[in-house]
Amino acid sequence: MIALENVTALRKPWSIKNVTIDWGPGVHAVVGTYQDGCALLLAVIVGSAKARLGRVRVLDGAPTEERVRSRIARVGLEPSLPDPLRVGEALALAAVVRGDPPGAPEGRLSVLGLETLAARPIASLSLAEARGVALAEGLTSSRVRVLVVEEPFAASDARAAGRIAEALRSKGRSGCAVVVSTASVRDATDLADDYVLMRGGLVAGKAASLQALTGFPRRGARMVIIARDATQARALVGALADHPEVTAVELDANTATIRGPDPMALARAAGRAAVDAEVDVVEIRAEPPSLEQARAAVAASGVA
Amino acid sequence: MMTALGRLSAARIVRSPRVWITLGAWAALVLGFAVTARAQGWAHGADRVLDSVYGALALPFIACALVGAAFGGRSLVSSTAPLVAFGAAPWRAALASIGVAVLATAFLGAGLAALVALIAHGVADPPPVRDAVVSAYVGGLGGAAYGAWFATGATIGRRGGGRLVLLGVDWLLDAAGGSTALVTPRAHLKNLLGGVSPMNVSERSSALALLMLTAIGILVAMRMARRR
Repeated sequence: MIALENVTALRKPWSIKNVTIDWGPGVHAVVGTYQDGCALLLAVIVGSAKARLGRVRVLDGAPTEERVRSRIARVGLEPSLPDPLRVGEALALAAVVRGDPPGAPEGRLSVLGLETLAARPIASLSLAEARGVALAEGLTSSRVRVLVVEEPFAASDARAAGRIAEALRSKGRSGCAVVVSTASVRDATDLADDYVLMRGGLVAGKAASLQALTGFPRRGARMVIIARDATQARALVGALADHPEVTAVELDANTATIRGPDPMALARAAGRAAVDAEVDVVEIRAEPPSLEQARAAVAASGVA
Repeated sequence: MMTALGRLSAARIVRSPRVWITLGAWAALVLGFAVTARAQGWAHGADRVLDSVYGALALPFIACALVGAAFGGRSLVSSTAPLVAFGAAPWRAALASIGVAVLATAFLGAGLAALVALIAHGVADPPPVRDAVVSAYVGGLGGAAYGAWFATGATIGRRGGGRLVLLGVDWLLDAAGGSTALVTPRAHLKNLLGGVSPMNVSERSSALALLMLTAIGILVAMRMARRR
């Protein structure tokens, strides 16, 4: 669906070099910052930036072809919406341009819980609401086969935030290629089926899981346990001290962060400690590496 | 498709109170002069108001304001970005927006010219109905040419500030006279409204020149909008 072969592009002051990517249906994450060329890579995919070298194919054509253009949706950090129209009118206009069958705007917006915005003028929307509307348009268009989203959870409407991940995954499952760019490793792991790590305009690594990309399990896992209050968190940390699988513990108010060589053993230890200390655990989750840790791990393992 | 794409620019014009206030002010000025000409019994009332106030002053400013409103006070590329984001081809989005701007200036130019011809009609002017029809035709041609002229200007600058530059260029080149005046809508409109002919070209040639300026303006603006 999306194929980039040795693509080099420049949009001052950022650039990407020799990027080769082949994506089919599913959710794909480009992990890195704006300075790493992530936004430029997305711009090349949607055809708003030209590749100086290399070949860009989207849906078996150039992204600027009319046939292809109407099947690509992009949700940028500041989405471009037709400001004099109401949200419902804008969605109707988008449907005509893309060739979608007409539908009730409330139904389209409900995918992100934003149906109450249908009658609002676009000029009155906050940035978060505008991003929600643009995302709902791309998600619900039956014609869109490539959906490109910059920082899907940044500046997201409170009503939409909880539904974005599932909506994007659902779009990916429906045969659409969803590409998200994010500087948050956690957001990437929440969403994507595979990852491309960008660094300084180059692809630093590619993998089907971020753990595989960074060699994270080999270097040890981190787990965050949130207790109901600080007293319970302290009791939990005390119980964790008896477990040899846990090599380090950090306590911050009601949150304990533990580290150990084996993620599974770490999870079992956390569970046993919670039972032993009779602590009510609010949340327990594996902590993905930060972007810098991921980059350092990739650089050390020489994946790229 | 083109009708749907044109809705964005049309909505920008219709839903902008600022542009209606501007248009109302210019129309009031022109019609005020027309009423004065009628009240004071000017023999060539329609000719004088059309040539001096309508053609030389009001129509260029009205067209500039209308084109600015149609493009949302931005450049052509940036004003059509929402349509391109929905998957429209840049040239098609640009053509739809320019088309709305040109049609709006043509209709408003024609209507206002006809009204002036009827209200300011003097004893030495041609019969009022015929004069109104001819004035509407000339006003429509002039409005369309100015619409395309300013659409080209809107492709220059991040906020389409080229419109104001071309407003100045139109005035300066016409004032300079000679062959350079032939590239401006002002010189040909003046010729058709009974003013001085640029380089002694005929009225028919001026009408054709206005049509050509419209076509060239649209093509240049579209060409510039495709560069993205």
